[in-house]
Amino acid sequence: MTLLIRTPQTQPQHGTLSPLLILSALLVLLQGCTSITIDEYHAREHQSITAGEHVVVLGRRHSNDYETEPELIECIGDILDDDNEVITVIPEKQFVDALYPWFEPRTAPMRVKDMGRLLTREDVAETIRSYHIRYIIWVDGNTETTSSSGSIGCSIGAGGAGCFGFGTWDKESDYEAAIWDYQHLENIGQISADASGTSYMPAVVVPIPLIARVQRNTCEAMGLQLRSFLNPTEKAL
Amino acid sequence: MTMKSVTKVVLLGLLSLLWGCTNNMKVTGTFPKPLIASLPQPVGIIYDNDFRNYVYTETSDDRGKWIIDAGAAQVDLFNTVIPELFDYVEELTAIPSADTPANVKLVLYPKIIDFQYSVPRETKFTIYEVWLKYNLSVYDAQGAMVADWILTAYGKTPTAFMQTDEDAMNAAIMVALRDLGANLSIGTRRVPEIRAWLERNTPNDPSLKAVQPIQSTDVKAPTVMSPKSAQKTPAPNGSIPIHTAQHQE
Repeated sequence: MTLLIRTPQTQPQHGTLSPLLILSALLVLLQGCTSITIDEYHAREHQSITAGEHVVVLGRRHSNDYETEPELIECIGDILDDDNEVITVIPEKQFVDALYPWFEPRTAPMRVKDMGRLLTREDVAETIRSYHIRYIIWVDGNTETTSSSGSIGCSIGAGGAGCFGFGTWDKESDYEAAIWDYQHLENIGQISADASGTSYMPAVVVPIPLIARVQRNTCEAMGLQLRSFLNPTEKAL
Repeated sequence: MTMKSVTKVVLLGLLSLLWGCTNNMKVTGTFPKPLIASLPQPVGIIYDNDFRNYVYTETSDDRGKWIIDAGAAQVDLFNTVIPELFDYVEELTAIPSADTPANVKLVLYPKIIDFQYSVPRETKFTIYEVWLKYNLSVYDAQGAMVADWILTAYGKTPTAFMQTDEDAMNAAIMVALRDLGANLSIGTRRVPEIRAWLERNTPNDPSLKAVQPIQSTDVKAPTVMSPKSAQKTPAPNGSIPIHTAQHQE
């Protein structure tokens, strides 16, 4: 049985609004939003995690022209791990180092059945068992700047210095997380996240960056979705 | 302050600014021990001065100026991986010969033969990339060549906010060296010539049965020869043991 849940989310950026600077306040209000769409696919109807079972979040690094950012993997891990007593996340570097060289870009299992082959090595199986791993989450994708326009010029003179102009750029995130049940060696679902956001930088003497935190917001949305995926009872509470 | 001193200060300032335009770095980091079964063979390893003190200097006028000191890092990688791959490892100073054989069964002699990189401003991708190519010559205790293995490694790292060019390049080189370590850890038993030698000399090692040999173009046909340097160089005296590991299988 398969379930497909489409959850469009729009997460506005939060900025600091200074009561003394009306202009800044207006600019903050105009700050670009990040629009995020989450797709969730369940290959199995029921899954759960119990205390004592651990999760590891790993980035895919095999593509030629991009690399899943380590800080995104860390961010997702932090969100999964925070404020709950059920999900414990093993840091990516700790796990990959302990299993070196079996989870390097050249050697990492691409499919669940490759994982089965890898586990025929007793030393590898024993090391993974020692971490009490229940779920392995593979995250693939990246965030990139898709377009930019405008220009800002700065000058310095005897009377002082200043910048004038306007710049804007768009960023897009595209990530997919595959969730493997290590105990049953099966792919139990996928969560994908598409996000986009526009950042602005007006400069009237001083440049004021209004940054759309596309990658950070995608991480938060994916992390929370993964939490409810792995621990549906938390959502009910 | 005299005029001469002022000129000196200005010149030094200009020089330091020019030096600031050069990406001058030493590769730093640590490597994990590989999770592999060791082979029950004592081996020697030779790090010559070119390998130990390897520095890549960009000479192209069309590229940014890079000076990358990778010698210590690559020696560190070999010193981490090889003692896990073989039961006993000691450092030698020269290739043995029939007249001056080594006290070990195999001698490894790594050489770096190519180092390439690309940075985001050249490729328009937001990643730093590094390619490494090594030649690992393997000799027996009498200095006869067993295998001449070409190993390649690749590493990349994405750009990150507030990360310097040097930090990003360091991360990409570390990934490439880890890749080299993975290739060494898993590939050594699969090189046909090394595998054949091991099967002759370690017939009952179960770890050899667990892997299939590679048919790689990376492996050059072995030539039985003793380099001239080996005939001239006396046997290594006072060689340095690196590590002793217990055979796990």
